[in-house]
Amino acid sequence: MVSHAGSTQVSIDACDCLTALGDAASTCERLKKGEVALKPHPALENDSEPVPLALTGTLEPTTPPRWLKPSLELLKKAPDEPWGTAKYPVVISSSNFGIDQMLAAYTTGEERYHGSATPAHAVQTLAEACGWGPNRFIVSNACVSAQLAMIQAQRLLESSLAERVLVFSFDFLSPFVVGGFYALKILNSDFPQPYADRETGSIGLGDGAAFAVLSRNPAPYRIAAAACLSENFHMTANDSSGAGFRGVLAPLADSFPRQGVWVKGHGTGTLEAGRLEAEAVAWQLPDSPLVSWKGALGHTLGSCGLVELAIVLEAMRTGEVPGNVGAEPPYFTSNVHRENFSAKDFGGVVLLSSAFGGAQAAHLVTRD
Amino acid sequence: MGDDFKNRLKTLIIEALSLEDVEPDDLADDTPLMESGLGLDSIDALELVVSVEKEFSIKIKNSEEARSALRSIDTLAQFIRERQAASA
Repeated sequence: MVSHAGSTQVSIDACDCLTALGDAASTCERLKKGEVALKPHPALENDSEPVPLALTGTLEPTTPPRWLKPSLELLKKAPDEPWGTAKYPVVISSSNFGIDQMLAAYTTGEERYHGSATPAHAVQTLAEACGWGPNRFIVSNACVSAQLAMIQAQRLLESSLAERVLVFSFDFLSPFVVGGFYALKILNSDFPQPYADRETGSIGLGDGAAFAVLSRNPAPYRIAAAACLSENFHMTANDSSGAGFRGVLAPLADSFPRQGVWVKGHGTGTLEAGRLEAEAVAWQLPDSPLVSWKGALGHTLGSCGLVELAIVLEAMRTGEVPGNVGAEPPYFTSNVHRENFSAKDFGGVVLLSSAFGGAQAAHLVTRD
Repeated sequence: MGDDFKNRLKTLIIEALSLEDVEPDDLADDTPLMESGLGLDSIDALELVVSVEKEFSIKIKNSEEARSALRSIDTLAQFIRERQAASA
């Protein structure tokens, strides 16, 4: 099923992120230099095999939750509005929320972890710290969470239910998350090389948080189109024909600017999904360079769509796009772009995210 | 490779995946385990990998290695033997 937001009049008034390489400006600059934030880290306490993680702090659960302080620091950069009131809703997304707290509560039995252990409690903790009102939406759908949150915000604006919307997403790693991906064998001792045609692959994982403020006011950066799609093929596998990757791109086609687009792909480093995505982009956008930054930042899970949007906007602002970091050729397709390139040669950028269960999301962002 | 070993492996597969109305003799050594044949999906494969690692004290390093090992009873048996020999 495809949901097509079509051509929109939604602007991005403000946007920033936090990664293991800093804020959006710092992250973008360091990506241009090819810096890789991922470092080997033991996957489990009782297992010595190192896996690639990009951390902003300790993995261990703390009280208050380790994600609270950096989230609040980041949110201080957002424009001041009566967030959470009738016309100024907040859309919060994550794929993990307080899972670190939930596991700690389960393993230790300590009451102090319960306060932020569920999505609702985690958001309540943020809301109390930020003074948000009750007009809040929680969106969680694995790794497309942040882009679905943006689509939710667009719908609120397009239906005049909001003047401005704050979208916030956060995903910080914990032993539960690392152990889960490690158990799936898609996180292993290899380092991720997005779109590289290799014998074996691995993802990396990274801490990440980001916000965007969307409105209908004229602004330099605009969401020109958006789409989401569920393949409904299998709970963990993509349709091997690549139909899902092609299907989420198709609704954007009518909105592509004449100067062409570049593509910020999902590109976690998994081999099958990486190949399908690269082939879909090459087939539909043969002249568009394709990059992923997860070889440097790791996969920031449900927040990746918003984290990477902040870097995309910084690349557009500075005029130079970081190439596909951390991956050596040969690549699945010739459109994968290893070197930095000029954003000024293009009229916009497509942002893609994919998730377990064949969930897909895409945004087209243009600069007026 | 002994039939006893493969029978042990078949029994493990049946138990790990709770295969109803399936006996070890029903599983041919060259029966494909994934998609066609037994029709295991990625969740089944993960359960089987965890069971095999525990039962035979070996490590399967990544999803590609798992996919290759799980082509059939024969390939899985061979993989386990080689991994055990390497760590002996």
